[in-house]
Amino acid sequence: MMATDAMIQLIHVSKSYDRRIALSDVTLEIGKGEFVLLMGPSGAGKSTLLRMLIGEERPDQGQIFVQGRNVSRLKQAEVPYLRRKIGTVFQDFRLFPQKSVFENVALPLIVQRASVTDIRRKVTEALRAVGVEHNKDQLPHSLSTGERQRVCIARAIVNGPVVLLADEPTGNLDPERTAEIIELFKLINARGTTVIVATHDPHVMALVSRRVITLTQGGLAEER
Amino acid sequence: MKWLWYIFREAWVNLWTNRTTTVVATLTTAFTLACVGIFLLSYVNLRNAADWLQEDIKVIVYLDDGVSSAETQELEEKLKEDRMVAAIRHISKEEALGEFRSQFPSDSHLLEGLGENPLPASFVVTPAPSYRSPDAVSRWAERVLTMAGVAKVDYNQQWIDALAELIRYIELTAIGVGVILCAAALTIIANTIRLALFARRDEVEILRLIGATNAFIRIPYFLEGALLGACGSALALGMLKLGFELFRHQIASAGRFRGIENMVSFFPLSICLIFIAVGMGLGVAGSMVSLRRFGEGRG
Repeated sequence: MMATDAMIQLIHVSKSYDRRIALSDVTLEIGKGEFVLLMGPSGAGKSTLLRMLIGEERPDQGQIFVQGRNVSRLKQAEVPYLRRKIGTVFQDFRLFPQKSVFENVALPLIVQRASVTDIRRKVTEALRAVGVEHNKDQLPHSLSTGERQRVCIARAIVNGPVVLLADEPTGNLDPERTAEIIELFKLINARGTTVIVATHDPHVMALVSRRVITLTQGGLAEER
Repeated sequence: MKWLWYIFREAWVNLWTNRTTTVVATLTTAFTLACVGIFLLSYVNLRNAADWLQEDIKVIVYLDDGVSSAETQELEEKLKEDRMVAAIRHISKEEALGEFRSQFPSDSHLLEGLGENPLPASFVVTPAPSYRSPDAVSRWAERVLTMAGVAKVDYNQQWIDALAELIRYIELTAIGVGVILCAAALTIIANTIRLALFARRDEVEILRLIGATNAFIRIPYFLEGALLGACGSALALGMLKLGFELFRHQIASAGRFRGIENMVSFFPLSICLIFIAVGMGLGVAGSMVSLRRFGEGRG
């Protein structure tokens, strides 16, 4: 059914909301360790595709596989376990405002009931990897937008996910910070994690000379 | 164990962040449960009074004037063999007259004009503990009345029946009022939890996206509900105890009811613990209602 080196596979996937088509008959495959840019204007279906990969939405038609598992047929109780394999980075960071940087990054490990020693070690590693180790005791509101995005990335990678999804991760950043964040994604990808970055920003494409999938009006328009 | 610490801390943070709502909800729950407690306390004390009266119940079997001593002895033997009878004492006509004279010395001249002693001989029967209910005594009295030599069977029937009926009414009212007020407490707690959930909906969303299970997300809110319910019911018990002691003090200082203050009692420890457990249960149920309505369970 699915190629053995494929991390993600979409087969004739369609989704619509109240007659508005979000995705239309999309078929694509993303290999293990690939870095893919998902391009397209707002409303092209990029976010819908990402939400389907983490089981937040189900396709109206078609099937979605992540690491060989049919995500479109997962039971509700199985969805959290899928999400533990996939790190997610958001444009608006979605950090807990009253928790410190360390506590925010530790959350994915706490929900998995990791030991205190593991939490301390992995969170420190993740914070060091994204360069905000020195901010670990600060609250998110005291950080710059670039630093907040780094914390968000640290939280996404702290439990060693097989896939990292980023939905418009540079939407709130200036060009300099954007370049830094893209460099971080490249580093994470170099360690073997499949990275999918959804963006409408053409500057990001200039920074990443990798595979680009373009969506328009829910359909696969171009792939190079 | 970090996750366990996290869950308890989240429950505490929820309560502390919405502390005004928490205090109002706890007080409202306390007042509501105190109303339930008033009915329960009245019921328990009336039940105790009824039991006490039933323990003290005596049935007087009056004999016909023409009954011979042999017939009296035969009747006494018959009654002693009855399972219903725990103890029996014979009072002859002379003894009855003597008792009357000692109890009503100023009225004893009333009987002297009649010549012959008009007071009947009788048996004072103490019913066995398992036959002390008003129904059992009534049935037994009817049976004894048919025996040869028995003129009348007397006991404080009306008083016991009235008390039993009153207890039944209080029992029904307590159940009705209890159900309504418990539903009110549940709604109050559910609303508090819903407010907390609404205030933290973004955080719930983040937890879901990073792979938290429904149980992990829900447990802090269940704990919060349980804590609210427990605090509310404990406070209600405190208010009831205070009210109860004031009532007892008032009764004691009012001479007419002297002695009653020692007959009334507060809930035993077991009922207090059950009361708090019911409060906690209502809190958890309130949280469940809110979590279901909030739709947190979406994948």
